[in-house]
Amino acid sequence: MTTPALPPDADALLLCYCTGLTVGALREACRAGRWPLPGLERTGKLCTGCLGDLLHCLRALGAPAEDPAPDG
Amino acid sequence: MSSSPSALLSATFYEPGHDHLVELVHQRDGEARRRLASLAVELFDPAGASVHRRAVDPNQEILDLDTVAAPLVGSHGRLMVLFDARYDERIFPYRPHHYAYLHRRGASAPPLYYAVNAVLGGVPDRIGATGINNFESYLFSSSFSGRYSVMLGNVSRFAPARAQVFSYHGGARSVEEVLLPPKAHREIALAPEREGHRLDRVEVKALFRLASYVVGRHAAGGELMLFDHMFAYVKPT
Repeated sequence: MTTPALPPDADALLLCYCTGLTVGALREACRAGRWPLPGLERTGKLCTGCLGDLLHCLRALGAPAEDPAPDG
Repeated sequence: MSSSPSALLSATFYEPGHDHLVELVHQRDGEARRRLASLAVELFDPAGASVHRRAVDPNQEILDLDTVAAPLVGSHGRLMVLFDARYDERIFPYRPHHYAYLHRRGASAPPLYYAVNAVLGGVPDRIGATGINNFESYLFSSSFSGRYSVMLGNVSRFAPARAQVFSYHGGARSVEEVLLPPKAHREIALAPEREGHRLDRVEVKALFRLASYVVGRHAAGGELMLFDHMFAYVKPT
């Protein structure tokens, strides 16, 4: 099953409410092969609420899969 | 300290026929009123479709949810309400909280006052809440003759949520699997009693945090006796 591409108008969405990461910043980081960005390594692992969206976006942007287990 | 605003997304559920007032900022100092930087409110039907979105003046202290939602709820029966707040961490060094007053109109039952469930953000690393919080539980400390349930909502933009709702009666555990598309929500009934044992605990487990409340209603009239968000599971040390 393929993950649908992210619409361009998603770039302004705040993906992680804890670290302030937007979809656009994640897209750019993945394009440049720089994910995870310094200081944003815990995106998805703090309140955990965005973890599903983060994994969805990483798949859609072709980033390598990462361990989904939150800290704690 | 970051110069960009902090963010918090909180969620509750609306049902018609209730006075439902949300205190958008819980003021702690009458001489120094605190304000959010911005606030947007959005309502979703059970399938996850947005039925309304509006910006709220951050100077507004109380939102009458019934006034907003009653014309929109239609046959849905229940709407999920998301509060998307931006705030200055110098003004809210912990984080802002929304509290709500809930009372069915004309009911003899006392009103309920609850903390709106913070689902996304609120900088848990800064406030020291570093434990897993996608496993949530609720302990029932007293019993009444009524109907119990859990309301679950998925606040994701893209990802469906698969959750397990475990209910415990004495030593027996039963589970219900729930699949929620983005922004969808459901009420899952819990048996008040099984084989002579009353309901004493409920747990929700999911890959990521969901909006979750436990609900208790009187058996006869259906009046709300309990409406409370669940609590993060704490691993014993």
